[in-house]
Amino acid sequence: MKLFEAWRLSRLPYKEVVYRSIAEERGRMWWGSFGRRGLGGDAQNDYELTKKALRIAKFDKTLVAIFNVLAAVIPFTAQLLGSPILGLTSAIVLSLAVTFGFTALYSIQTLSSFVSAESSALLSTLPLEQHDFSMITLFSFIRSVDYMAVGAIASQVLMVAYYTLSPFAVLAMFLASVVNVVLAVAVALWFSRIFTKNLSRGGRSRGNTVLRLFFILMWGSLLMGVSLLISLPWYIVPSLEMTILSSNQLSAMFLSLLYQFSAGITVTSISRSVTAGSTQLIAAFSMLGYAVVAGFAGKWVLTTVKRISHGTDVKASAVTTKDFSIKTRKPLLGYVLKDLKISSRNPTTAFFFALPILETVIVSLMIVNFEVLRASTLLVLTFMGGVFVLLMPLALLSAEGTGLEYTKTLPMNVNRIITSKTLISTLTYMPVPLVLLLMALVKPLSSPFALFIPFSVILSIASASVFEIQLFLGSVTKGKIAGLLHDLKKLVFGFATLTIPLAAYAVAFLISFSHIFAVLAMGGASASELALAIHLLKRNKK
Amino acid sequence: MSAPLIEASEITKHFGSVKALTGLSFRVMPGEIYGLLGPNGAGKTTTIKLITGLVEPTSGSVTVEGFNPIKHSIEVKSRIGYVAEKPILYESLSSRDFLEFVASIRKIDQKAVNHIVTQLADAFDMEKYFDAPIATLSMGMKQKVALIASLVHQPPILLLDEPLSGLDAKSSRIVKDLLSLHTQKGGAVLFSTHIMEVAEHLCTRIGIIYQGKLVAEGTLDQLKSKTGNKNETLENLFLKLTNEEAEVADKTRLLGDVFFKNEAV
Repeated sequence: MKLFEAWRLSRLPYKEVVYRSIAEERGRMWWGSFGRRGLGGDAQNDYELTKKALRIAKFDKTLVAIFNVLAAVIPFTAQLLGSPILGLTSAIVLSLAVTFGFTALYSIQTLSSFVSAESSALLSTLPLEQHDFSMITLFSFIRSVDYMAVGAIASQVLMVAYYTLSPFAVLAMFLASVVNVVLAVAVALWFSRIFTKNLSRGGRSRGNTVLRLFFILMWGSLLMGVSLLISLPWYIVPSLEMTILSSNQLSAMFLSLLYQFSAGITVTSISRSVTAGSTQLIAAFSMLGYAVVAGFAGKWVLTTVKRISHGTDVKASAVTTKDFSIKTRKPLLGYVLKDLKISSRNPTTAFFFALPILETVIVSLMIVNFEVLRASTLLVLTFMGGVFVLLMPLALLSAEGTGLEYTKTLPMNVNRIITSKTLISTLTYMPVPLVLLLMALVKPLSSPFALFIPFSVILSIASASVFEIQLFLGSVTKGKIAGLLHDLKKLVFGFATLTIPLAAYAVAFLISFSHIFAVLAMGGASASELALAIHLLKRNKK
Repeated sequence: MSAPLIEASEITKHFGSVKALTGLSFRVMPGEIYGLLGPNGAGKTTTIKLITGLVEPTSGSVTVEGFNPIKHSIEVKSRIGYVAEKPILYESLSSRDFLEFVASIRKIDQKAVNHIVTQLADAFDMEKYFDAPIATLSMGMKQKVALIASLVHQPPILLLDEPLSGLDAKSSRIVKDLLSLHTQKGGAVLFSTHIMEVAEHLCTRIGIIYQGKLVAEGTLDQLKSKTGNKNETLENLFLKLTNEEAEVADKTRLLGDVFFKNEAV
């Protein structure tokens, strides 16, 4: 089979993968039919829904590719403000690190379906040679990341060409960019396989439950770690470059062993000497080493994809049981438990369960530097903790996926869905006030009343969740831009709900210089929001 | 005479410009297994979705034990057990998790539900699959989970859209026997199927839908008497009533011309 023919045929399994990743996991489009306006409309039209899923996928892919290109280019543009050579290492390191994080995160979203779905099932019925079959599967895999990979590689190479005008530097940058993408995709595939293997494992023993819980937390932490690659390098890389340029040879040599730095130093050194010769040599060898690792990673990806195409990669293990007893609970608790289970077993939402840990770490780290806990500090920390939680209701809704079709046949009001997700989101925020309370025991407070700030926001978090979910359920959007704007609207509503009480505190304090008055104003604002949320819930019952 | 458990009167459903149902009326009485037959796209699934309240009629009315499925959604959903054409369940949950969720929402007594679930899961040979994620189950196994979930609250009305698809012979027989037992105890079943033999042997009454309209309704004997041939099979009867008999004969002849030409070789 010709390569072009295999590439053309790979569209079929690729479409199946993206369709599943959107329709079954993110489930955004299915939600429309729960809303009053959508009742009986879209629910019937499977064809339209499929087309919508594929449109969303293409739009998402293009949008993510544009972001990736921007992320790759922005570090280089910073040099226009300074020395073109001094910052080139930083720019390359930043560009590689950020695109690595971006590519890995996006791949994890789609590759989970690739690994778990029987994406090649349809092709397996056709009389294809095993080699052709594997090639088609490989191409369908490549299609998941093609736009963003090509975009990142091309923009990084072009930027280096523009700044160095050296063909050797361009060649080295090309190698570094390819290695970067291969490693990112390999990491994503590895993550996705681990997740799917864990999910496929049956059994309900205590050991299995603990193992799953541990895995979810590990998964969350790993994914959060990858996300940090997007933001963290902006702060730390420039200062690290100073280390490379400094006289401290040991630190510079150590840095040159790290992948992105080895690439950055090597590419820059080709056009001009920026650091000691020994460091440059180590960086060059290190980069070659990473290229070899990427070669192995690429080979592993090929083998894994081949195994997936043969259906021998991930296998479910059957656990025999004779005990068919089930445990019934109160309806709300039943719904909450179901929500927790499905979202923790969904690779795109499971990492949200690491949010409380992340909040605790961030709040604790930030507070350590303060001698006295002032109201302004508490306002900022509370806001930061709250902002994270705003994503939780939407993640929980997305995790529902097509299963919601079944829930609609059960005798329950839509409020149960809202209450369940609101409860989980609010609980996710709880580490913030608790950490602040604990910190208040060891650090002096500017005013004891300021401690009410994080607790009062609990009401706002609950209200924000209700508003976001109500918006999600209440309407059906048509078109890509409308869908995107609608998603933003939910977050803006949540954001505003969180901000209003905090702003009320600040304004009341600036007017009265009284913490008591400020706390009362804040409490009043939060309580009003909650009253509005409860009113909305009551209206649903009618 | 007892009141009908399901009553559809002059229901019409349009999806945009598509007329899915036009003036459909029928009743399902206690003790009845009402089979809804029709070609693909005839409107069987839409009819069942209208009764569950998942879809709102454009005009006409539906009642379930006197309740309107849209206005009294909770009352209706408490009284029905529904199995969809494609078993859409929460794929990442295990069968046990899923049934726990359903039983909790339906507020069923733990002891009672355990008795039912144990009996059904055992009958359906689910030992190896009860704690496996639903995503890893075969189509037939998923169908079994959906069937158990529809029966846990022992509803008076069962709405089953192609309930036997994917089931093995043993499970299929168990389901058929269960439906008979259910109606003997005064329950009602409305189910759609493509398998004529099943409808022929199981249904007490049959409604044939064609292009969104009910073209015939009655017991098997009543339908046969319409054609004047008492030995007519339901399949032939169905094709006659849906005006597809001549078309099927033509197409088979044409296909015969195209295929199997080299059989002698």
